[in-house]
Amino acid sequence: MTGTAAAPCAGCSAHRASRLVQLGVQLDRWDYLVALAGNPNTGKSTVFNALTGLRQHTGNWPGKTVARAEGGFTLEDKRVKLIDLPGTYSLQAGSADEEVARDFVLFGQPDVTVVVVDATRLERNLNLVLQILEITDRVVVCLNLMDEARRHGIGIDVMRLEQQLGVPVVPTVARSGDGIAELLDAIHGVASGAVETSPYRMESHPAEVEAAVQALVQPIAQAYPELPNARWVALRLLNADERVETAVRSGDIGALAEGVFEASALLEADSATGGEAQVATAVDGAGDILDTASRLRWTLSANFHDRLTESLYAEAERIAQASQVRGLKRTKFDLDRTLDRLLTSRWLGFPLMLLVLAVVFWLTIAGANYPSRFLAWLLLDTVHPALKGFSAAVGVPWLLDGMLLDGVYLATAWVVSVMLPPMAIFFPLFTLLEDFGYLPRVAFNLDSLFRKAGAHGKQALTMCMGFGCNAAGVVSTRVIDSPRERLIAIITNNFSLCNGRWPTQILIASIFVGALAPAHLAGLVSASAVVAIALLGIGAMFLASWLLSRTVLAGEATTFSLELPPYRPPRILQTLYTSVIDRTLIVLWRAVIFAVPAGAAIWLVSNINVGGVSIAAHAMDWLDPFGLLIGLNGVILLAYVVAIPANEIVIPTVLMLTVLTLGATGMGEGAGVMFELDSAGTTGQLLRTGGWTLLTAVNLMLFSLLHNPCSTTIYTIYRETRSAKWTTVATLLPLLMGFTVCFLVAQVWRLAGG
Amino acid sequence: MVDPALALFVFALVALALAVVFWPRRGVVAWLVRFARLTQRARIEDALKRMYDAEYAGRPCTVESLAGMLHMGRARVMGLVARLEAVGLVRTVEDRLALTDVGRGEALRVLRSHRMWERYLADRTGVPPIEWHEEAEEREHTLSPEAVEQLDSAMGHPRYDPHGDPIPTADGELPPHAGVALSALVPGQSASVVHLEDEPAEVYQQLVEMGLAPGAQIELLEATPGRIRFAADGEEHAIEPVAAMNVTVVLPREAAESRGPFETLKTLDPGESAAVVGIAPACQGPQRRRLLDLGLVPGTVVTAELRGALRDPVAYRVRGALIALRREQADWVRVDRRLAAEVH
Repeated sequence: MTGTAAAPCAGCSAHRASRLVQLGVQLDRWDYLVALAGNPNTGKSTVFNALTGLRQHTGNWPGKTVARAEGGFTLEDKRVKLIDLPGTYSLQAGSADEEVARDFVLFGQPDVTVVVVDATRLERNLNLVLQILEITDRVVVCLNLMDEARRHGIGIDVMRLEQQLGVPVVPTVARSGDGIAELLDAIHGVASGAVETSPYRMESHPAEVEAAVQALVQPIAQAYPELPNARWVALRLLNADERVETAVRSGDIGALAEGVFEASALLEADSATGGEAQVATAVDGAGDILDTASRLRWTLSANFHDRLTESLYAEAERIAQASQVRGLKRTKFDLDRTLDRLLTSRWLGFPLMLLVLAVVFWLTIAGANYPSRFLAWLLLDTVHPALKGFSAAVGVPWLLDGMLLDGVYLATAWVVSVMLPPMAIFFPLFTLLEDFGYLPRVAFNLDSLFRKAGAHGKQALTMCMGFGCNAAGVVSTRVIDSPRERLIAIITNNFSLCNGRWPTQILIASIFVGALAPAHLAGLVSASAVVAIALLGIGAMFLASWLLSRTVLAGEATTFSLELPPYRPPRILQTLYTSVIDRTLIVLWRAVIFAVPAGAAIWLVSNINVGGVSIAAHAMDWLDPFGLLIGLNGVILLAYVVAIPANEIVIPTVLMLTVLTLGATGMGEGAGVMFELDSAGTTGQLLRTGGWTLLTAVNLMLFSLLHNPCSTTIYTIYRETRSAKWTTVATLLPLLMGFTVCFLVAQVWRLAGG
Repeated sequence: MVDPALALFVFALVALALAVVFWPRRGVVAWLVRFARLTQRARIEDALKRMYDAEYAGRPCTVESLAGMLHMGRARVMGLVARLEAVGLVRTVEDRLALTDVGRGEALRVLRSHRMWERYLADRTGVPPIEWHEEAEEREHTLSPEAVEQLDSAMGHPRYDPHGDPIPTADGELPPHAGVALSALVPGQSASVVHLEDEPAEVYQQLVEMGLAPGAQIELLEATPGRIRFAADGEEHAIEPVAAMNVTVVLPREAAESRGPFETLKTLDPGESAAVVGIAPACQGPQRRRLLDLGLVPGTVVTAELRGALRDPVAYRVRGALIALRREQADWVRVDRRLAAEVH
């Protein structure tokens, strides 16, 4: 393992290449493959960004990097590919995340594995470091968050820690970029082989395990003399780790010992027979090894796994204490503790939380108003007529002009102008709170309520995120690392009234509900009606969570844990940048993609005639009886069918369809052209002419809350769960609830008032 | 327009019908599924399993005792036994029932399915412990041998079910009752020998010369990676850990059960500290691993720091990190306050 071993590897080993493809790594050209591992919430993503310059979204959350991120940078003249592994507490492959991380470190054979370690929680982080050192020699420890450690009066003797671990240890403050240059040097040194490592390996395990390990190491070492981590392989076999067993059986494990790996690659090139012979012997030895492991497992007590974790922690504790700088004064006044006491106190916790959330919502609503109006003026009132004029002048065919400009363009413009401003304000504000560390405290305070519904406290936050956008809310459930609770949060996120639905609620409430009250109270009454709907949504969320956790989801695994990270001063500019890029634009882009075909569809169904009547009219006639039964009408149902991509275009579609059915002249812009009216009064007039009553309005508000998620969200749910089953449940459950609630309200309403 | 009262009435009827059909565990569908599973095959397998249980525990098995265990009438059990005898799964010796080798193999296969499924429920799902056994009672009859093997390798060839009972191997091997290797004991623990492995012969010879035999009472004195020192019936010996693995021992029942009552993390008020003693055996699978990975291993000193605004969960300082645990989780973590004082 000298300089030659570090030569560009993409070509040298077909084995490794195919394995990397399996692991999902893109095989563009790189010289070094570097993996980034670490506990959740150690600033791993910040280190990733500092190394690559890529603005990956980071948050003060345990468990942020669920989807693995990739990035690249150049180091002197070498191209480096950096893989961000999921944050895990351990590599015992007990969860999907741990499996991904372990598989990559073992089978991906990174040239360097950088373990990011939180300097303030050295002991717990060393647990993972020690496990990684068991697998690979090529490790650099990045001792991050040194500034926080200093602030908390924790001193670490880096030299001593380096001696103990036998690999380079680089202290960094990734947020400010301190130590990143040194980290790059260390990576280069280990990758090129210039820096020799002699990683610390656990010398002994608890007696019962040790005996079995010793009995296994011998045959393993005999079969694979080059294997650097025979003891670890033995342990994994005793744990009956399926992947390691397979690797032993196929002889791959021998190929992983780098020397043999290259030799066998050479053999394959020289003579195919030689290579085969080697594989055959490897598999022969493997059978014995696996049999021995299987026999030895009977001698271990059922909970020997506990003992292993204990011994790992004992070592971690010893090393951490040995490298601690003594005599440093711990800070007397602990700001974190004081803040925590305040923010989670019995009397102040909830008022403070409501205050913070109210401010966030107020800023969003107040702040989005003007840019939204401006965008609507620009995109709908200025650009659209200009485009129409241009297309008329050029002589674009009617069908194309209508479908593209009135259908596709209008739908997209509508979505952008309604959706963009609130998201661009809401997401950065929320991200700032997240960055600061307040949101985990909210989850902590509210967990008790969510526990009773079978959900996770963090669902409070994904729910809040849903008030901004359900698709973003679904993505944000990644912070919940327990499978069952995460599914519940995903399926019930749609009960948060998203920002695309608020305008519908406000408009309908002010036309129909506000009108019931005397003029000076109208605003207050309609606002209360909207808030009541939002609260009803929260109620429905709890009910659905409770039902799901006790029925279809009862069997999913659950592992509750909620880490409260230390408070960190938020970085305002960076947060603005990343949350606009990461959340807002990605979600907006998805919404636009879905709005395009919807726009075309809306225009086409209103303009293509079958038997002299448009498809839309047929569909509305057909849907009308059912619509009326549940207190709605065919127009509303059809609007919800064609406007499934985005709730923003429901009202414009409803208005357009109403004009279409009434055949009213002098109103609207023509068949298939969505529009909104300037005053609520004229809108109300139009709707009442269309047969709307107070019941229709109330049920529309209910149905707007309780119906299937928009297609952007459905697609996101599928992306996150990778399950058609749960996507279907998430889609149909709220729809069913909506039909039922509207139906019941309609019947009771008619019974009571006629 | 449909009459609203009529519509409501129809709705109520439909809702009621759906509830009757689909109600979990009690609805028509659940009932049908259960009925379909309780086939003749299930009856036969249950009978074989009961007979194997009796054999394993060394109890005699008669038609009467079998009828009691299966909750069936004597006459029906007689018919069942006759059928089993006809196909060569059971033979009758005087009035005692005994399994043939084929019958025992079948019984072990069913037992393997049962315990494997329990292990699966414990490790990979959130099904509460109280339901493990019943679910496994149903699944054992429907799992195909291939499915059991898939489960086996996916879960890392588990040796014990969550209750600590051994899972028979695919070849129908089962170790002596609840035995563990001598090397698995911790110093101070006592146990009795149930089995000495006779291969390799040299080791066996050495063990026999020490006077070890099934039934010997052993107390482990010291365990280091190189040497295990123990007292057998009062006499002190030392052997290598590799050799100690050939000695299978059982823990006396009451010692295997934890010597409670334990104090748990739940009892700590903010500001109080205690050292972890262990995690309750009731906590299994992913939950247990998570608690261990967070650093809640014996000896770790934990301080309760914060109570949530609704009193639950409570945040604990564990090895430098602030970790919130719910009440029922905290109740799994056994602690000792006096130990914390010693460590400090």
